[in-house]
Amino acid sequence: MGVLSSNLKPSFLGLLKFLNNMNWFIVFFSLINISVCIYEDQIGKFDWRQTYVGRIKFAQFDTVSTAKKIIVATEENVLAALNLKTGQVVWRHVFETASTGNIQLLHVGEKVTTVTGSNPYLVRGWDSNTGVLIWEWSLTVQNDLTEYSQWWVQNNMLVHVLPVFGSHIEVTMYNLLTGSNRGASSMLPAIWTNERCILTAPHYTCISGPLESQLLLSIDVTSNAVKIISKPLTDYVDIQQTVSVNLRPLGGNSIIPGFVLGNDKIVFIRDNNFEKSKVQLGDKSASATVVDGANGHILVQTWMDDVTGFTLTADSVSTGKEVTDIYCSDKTLNIPKPELLAVMCTRTSREQNACRLLINAADDAVHLMQQGGRALWAREEALSRARAVEFVELPVSDTDAALESEFDQKEGSVWSAFARRLLTQYQQLQNLIRSLQGESAVQKTPSSLVRDYFNLHRIIVIVTDAGKIFGIDNLSGEILWRRYEAGLSAQSASVFTRRSARTPPHHAHLSVVATQRDTGNGFILSLNPITGELIDEGKLILNVRLLQCMMLHVPDSEKLHALVLLDEKENVLVLPSSAAPLVEDVYMYVAEKDTAKVQGYSLRFDGKGVRAQRTWAARLGGAGAARVAATATRSRLEHVRAPGRALADRSVLYKYSNPNLVLFVVERLDPLYKEEVVAVALDVVSGALAGAAAHRRARALPLAAHADNCFVYLYRSEKHRRLELATMELYEGKERWLEPGVPFSSLESNQVPIVEHQAFILPATPTAAAFTITERSLTDRHVLLGLSSGAVVELPWAYLEARRDESLPVAAPELPLPADATLNYNRTLQRVSALHAAPAGLESTSLVLVTGLDLFYTRVAPSKTFDLLKDDFDYYLITIVLSALIVATYSTKYFASRKMLKQAWK
Amino acid sequence: MKMFTIIFFSINVLQNAICLDYDGWLNIKVEHTLNCKYEEYCARGSISLKSIRTGIPVIDQINFNDGHINELKEIAKVDGIYALRTLVSTAESKDVEIISFVRAKRFLESGLSDIIRAWVLPNGEVIALSLQVANTSQPKNIEYKSSEYKLNSTFYIRHVDPAPLPDTASYIQKLEREKEAREKGELKDNRSFLAKYWMYIVPIAIFVMISGAANPEPAAQAAR
Repeated sequence: MGVLSSNLKPSFLGLLKFLNNMNWFIVFFSLINISVCIYEDQIGKFDWRQTYVGRIKFAQFDTVSTAKKIIVATEENVLAALNLKTGQVVWRHVFETASTGNIQLLHVGEKVTTVTGSNPYLVRGWDSNTGVLIWEWSLTVQNDLTEYSQWWVQNNMLVHVLPVFGSHIEVTMYNLLTGSNRGASSMLPAIWTNERCILTAPHYTCISGPLESQLLLSIDVTSNAVKIISKPLTDYVDIQQTVSVNLRPLGGNSIIPGFVLGNDKIVFIRDNNFEKSKVQLGDKSASATVVDGANGHILVQTWMDDVTGFTLTADSVSTGKEVTDIYCSDKTLNIPKPELLAVMCTRTSREQNACRLLINAADDAVHLMQQGGRALWAREEALSRARAVEFVELPVSDTDAALESEFDQKEGSVWSAFARRLLTQYQQLQNLIRSLQGESAVQKTPSSLVRDYFNLHRIIVIVTDAGKIFGIDNLSGEILWRRYEAGLSAQSASVFTRRSARTPPHHAHLSVVATQRDTGNGFILSLNPITGELIDEGKLILNVRLLQCMMLHVPDSEKLHALVLLDEKENVLVLPSSAAPLVEDVYMYVAEKDTAKVQGYSLRFDGKGVRAQRTWAARLGGAGAARVAATATRSRLEHVRAPGRALADRSVLYKYSNPNLVLFVVERLDPLYKEEVVAVALDVVSGALAGAAAHRRARALPLAAHADNCFVYLYRSEKHRRLELATMELYEGKERWLEPGVPFSSLESNQVPIVEHQAFILPATPTAAAFTITERSLTDRHVLLGLSSGAVVELPWAYLEARRDESLPVAAPELPLPADATLNYNRTLQRVSALHAAPAGLESTSLVLVTGLDLFYTRVAPSKTFDLLKDDFDYYLITIVLSALIVATYSTKYFASRKMLKQAWK
Repeated sequence: MKMFTIIFFSINVLQNAICLDYDGWLNIKVEHTLNCKYEEYCARGSISLKSIRTGIPVIDQINFNDGHINELKEIAKVDGIYALRTLVSTAESKDVEIISFVRAKRFLESGLSDIIRAWVLPNGEVIALSLQVANTSQPKNIEYKSSEYKLNSTFYIRHVDPAPLPDTASYIQKLEREKEAREKGELKDNRSFLAKYWMYIVPIAIFVMISGAANPEPAAQAAR
């Protein structure tokens, strides 16, 4: 810089001269693409991350700082700032999942203030621009009944209201910044308080008294003089309604204290008196709030009903007249149970209202709207709680489908086949001409959902806790379709691809087996995963609870795999029922989580229906108290091709590759050793135990994975106070039990495999574990671990192998977690809850989706991409070299023959 | 011979002693579904062990009569299963129900011989029983002609092994050994001459070859 300024001084000519000197420097530096890390150019090339915050609990517009933001606090204990224009996360703080992270209050003033935890509470101040913590103090309330505590901020004072039912209200004020208690606690006499109380800051409002003469009471808890407003409830509500009058505060940071009484009455508190609102609630489920509008206060309401669809209304509080420029009624908008989180209105030059409304919906989506109902953006917060994931293949393109159908038809004469041949070739010619005209670009848009050559393009179907199901494009991360089912509880949902899109003319078929939210009965949803539309059975709600579900291994005549469901009365339901005769040699198992009792069933079609017979039962935890912490089954997508592994001395060790094995990690209480973890590999068809291991003084973690003959599970060693990862491998031995090609049968074998064990120390806290899966399982296998630090690491199985060759050096007992094994490089993933892997069409590649608070998708190649050319492969160079070589060959041949001819003449 | 048996058993005891915290008795009531009059299950016999450690069972079972065999044949016709319910009692627990099964057809083919394996936790509790048909050299179609048939059961105890701990001790030993070796002096290099100095030999060899190719020997012309 100094050089520059000293050179600038002399004259303009000097400057030109200097620039001339600098010229080549500029050119030189502009050629260098400054790179901070290796493979930086590949960031986001094969992966994407979506950050979520969870269902929003509190929200407030940040109007103070220059960059307009919305500060939100969520039920996932996240404090975040969302960009007002795009809805993207500006900054985010993820608190503890336990009650210590629970956000009780969000207040946005000059700084953002939160109260978190539950006795002791933590009061923190954050900078709204950067999200930096500015102050923090803790607060312990000397009272046991703190769950009814209420908080708010008034005049830079934090007010804490603690009702003691039947006696008084304890009100304490603290300095917001320091926590110093001004004037200690004041006790307000309130012998009438019962549980129908709400806080409409600064008033505490209750309904009290015997049924016939109920009173509506309200007390200003911040005023120095105790003043109670007391009115008979019948002044506001009809007598018939008083039996169970609903009392709820106005939502969305209402600027006038008020509440909703009964189905449609709104009452404000003004000048120490109740004031009936001129406007009534439009619908009994409506969410209402009062904001400052262009012409005084306006009452904004929103609701959704079947007749008018989504409705947004606004009325002036003082006159009761409707404010028409905010009104909206839209049948196409689908916002179930809308709830106003925050509303901000400003006055435009023409005395109009310019409003921003943040609306929360029952499906956990949050919408930002303008006046008039125009949606600016929406965030699908349901994706922060994904429960079940399935990778769905895309259908082949129309031309490929026509080609396939041509070879599919077996009947028909030679002439019809010839005609079909001509037709398809005509179509292909048409396509070729069209592509030459440059229309191929149209097909490449993401909207054309067609299978690609390597089958890397998929749709990821995600079933979320909120009951919303999403179809996501795996390459772009774009949500292709969404479907909300209010009654669906995804706690124990499973997703089955019952028919892939590979079989035209049949469309793909995917079923979600879940439970109904209220009753816990079976809830089955069948949809087309490409479009998200309901098909066939559509929505099916059973009137019985389900124990277990599975997909039949054989397809029916329409290439649809039937669903086999076992209900709690041990009856079997087959969907579709026409597939019942196909149920033969089908076995199921049911594990009781709390007792570690596992049972097996044999399912069989007896001419009329499918009957389940209990065939085996085991107590994996013994007679005492035990629970199943984790189970791991082999992925449906895994096909094992290699029967053994080659050893150092060139002999083959055959794997015990039983597809019916399930790993149960059981935690039991031992009177002598306290906790004990028992890992059991059980053949769930025959009920025979293949291998087991017991870990003393250990607690199980709900993490286990199984692939081929490998098992991995994690536990916490109480003796050494550390996390350990155990692996188990099953082998047949040096000789094969079955002839090659003979299918394996659990019921025929009577040998017990060799079990190898190994344990390692893991210097991290994992939250999810999975194996990578490839098309033919020829590629190396890696274990993926999601860590609490926000990283997803890839561990080669070679490090974890339970069977150690004697010739190899002793491996380190502590697993190395090198930074370059992190799949998500510097993109931290908060609260990783599950890892899902699926094979791609390429043998080397496995597709991985990480769910948790964030979604992260990537591709992994455990043995590097051996079947794929590198991205920077120089096609031109190799073409030039090849053609030059051919030219050289032929020219030398020509010259050689001429030379020979000349020599012959000599 | 007797000496050998004693040695064999003592080895067995020692081996099991590692897996088992303390010895105890085990009593298994065996019930099946064949020829039962009213109940679903009726008694087939019992297996009792005085000591889990030694693992020597006393098997006391009924003999099958024609009624049993006929019912078994009926089940085998539809390829049904022959289920066994066992009630396991130890010093700690009483009558823990564990069920296992074999295919009736295979059971008949094997001449009513089966293998029962009981998996025992280190504290002596049974977690699972697997019933399997023994591999016999007898022909597949055994004819059942007499009126009484003896059940030929074999019983094994299998122990759930305590899993290994992370192998810190041997790793530390390895590190110490390396450290010692380093203190004593350089590790003795016992590689061959070529393995040690190939990086010097190869360039020289290449250089020699190139220079040799550059000046073709006149001998080639002499040969003509």
